[in-house]
Amino acid sequence: MTDPKTLWAAVSRAALNWKLLVPLAVALELFNRLSPASSSTLLTEVAILALFATSLNLLMSFGHMVSFGHAAYFGLGAYGFTLAVTRGGLAPEMALLVGPLAAALGGLVFGALCVRLTEIYFAMLTLACAQITYTVLFQWYDVTGGDTGITGFMIPRLGLSETGYASLVLGLVALALLALWMIVKSPLGLMIRAVGQDRARAEALGLAARRVQLVAFVIAAFFAGIAGTLYAVLHGSAFPDYAGLGLTLDGLIMVVLGGLNSFAGGIWGAVIYEMLSNFVPKFIHQWELVLGLLLLGICLAMPHGFAGLLARLGWRGGKGEK
Amino acid sequence: MLRISGLQAAYGKAEVLHGIDLEVAPGEVVCLIGRNGVGKSSTMKSIVRDQIAVTGGDILFEGRSLARMRPHDVIRRGVGYVPEDRRVFASLSVLENLRVPRPVRAQDRRRWTVEEVFQLFPQLHDYRNRKAGVMSGGEQQMLSVARALLTCPKLLLLDEPHEGLAPKIAEEVVDAIVELKREGVSMVVSEQALNTIRRCADRVYVIDRGVTVWSGTVEGFYADPEITRKYLMVQ
Repeated sequence: MTDPKTLWAAVSRAALNWKLLVPLAVALELFNRLSPASSSTLLTEVAILALFATSLNLLMSFGHMVSFGHAAYFGLGAYGFTLAVTRGGLAPEMALLVGPLAAALGGLVFGALCVRLTEIYFAMLTLACAQITYTVLFQWYDVTGGDTGITGFMIPRLGLSETGYASLVLGLVALALLALWMIVKSPLGLMIRAVGQDRARAEALGLAARRVQLVAFVIAAFFAGIAGTLYAVLHGSAFPDYAGLGLTLDGLIMVVLGGLNSFAGGIWGAVIYEMLSNFVPKFIHQWELVLGLLLLGICLAMPHGFAGLLARLGWRGGKGEK
Repeated sequence: MLRISGLQAAYGKAEVLHGIDLEVAPGEVVCLIGRNGVGKSSTMKSIVRDQIAVTGGDILFEGRSLARMRPHDVIRRGVGYVPEDRRVFASLSVLENLRVPRPVRAQDRRRWTVEEVFQLFPQLHDYRNRKAGVMSGGEQQMLSVARALLTCPKLLLLDEPHEGLAPKIAEEVVDAIVELKREGVSMVVSEQALNTIRRCADRVYVIDRGVTVWSGTVEGFYADPEITRKYLMVQ
């Protein structure tokens, strides 16, 4: 009983049921209420990036599809929302729905192209699609505002305070993560995992591999679009960088940091990455160096990331598939 | 039910099948016999379009050609496939492996449920929550057969179903094949062990260097020791 490993396991089992998830939610909300506005904004950003990284993780950990262009759907979400307000004349509250749908539509079009190939060729196609998206956003001045982006078209955060918007985002992200979790556990999730693990074998069991991958791609794009929309609302602006290679790389790093092959990997990764990028630069100028060393260490010493480490300590929440 | 005529197939540019002829009637169990590397597996792969290109001849299943069909469409038409290398989904549990096959809508088939395959392979029921990757070779083979049954096949292809298994486990797999035969499942089994052939086969095809060289009944096969000597003995 006193074995620390069994104790950890007991604590972590409890963590997954409501008895600990509810206090966790309460604690986050309390932190949000009691801390200064800047902390609430950071909390909002972490939550949004956790959703973005988890949507990428759905592709990577379960579909075994490495996307080098996932930011495209974050950007399409942000611009879908923004353009619906500026061009479509919709109220921002209504336009919230447009962002994720625009991203899903983009995912459908680009995804149909990308899933024709596999592995590195798939990755290269996703990169190409993302660069096309970025270039269009960057160059099409008449519609997207080009490199200056679109700003000042709405009151940021729908007029909510930093704290109020953080609460809203935490709630929405929690719902979105729950939906993603349910997808992973559903028969559809099983198909995605089967095709990811062994495409030929999944086909030999009657699954249309490409179609399954396309569905996974569209789902991932949709949730990335939610993240992008929430981000555009947070700052009341949209910039081409939202669809840029930088954010794609951030997402990939988060998933690897947090732990491949684990649902929680994207969430852990976003938390750790944001903490590092916010606090390390206060002490060291070369924070990228720290990040680089950390990634090196993780890839060599614990390839299943932070969630993998937790799993080794007996935490079931970190447990995923090998 | 299945009629293969003059089948030619290739991996890339290397042609491995030069003229396979094969027929399976409903309810029949047909054994493919031949030394390693003569094209037994490739014949089965050609039927389900598993990473091999059909370059000539035709494969008719219930009157429809499978030669240009996509792999999952072949399966949905009622061909089940248990590959030589088993390839269970290692990180999924046994139960999850069994839930991957898509339920079929066709009315004219024997439908298998997870409970029924558990009756056929009771060990799988005991290990249903275990990760498939940690099971023994024999258990993985049973899982592979069970999984193929859940695609509700009219014709089941079993590629070397008990290769590399301990004799006792291999016997259990053969028992299951006999049981399936009793259920009326048509099967094509590639096989090396002569006593298995005696137990379950109706007819035999001998393949050598990508060509069907002999076909006939099991009795005819055993009546002619020359065939065994010529095509099965190591030279």
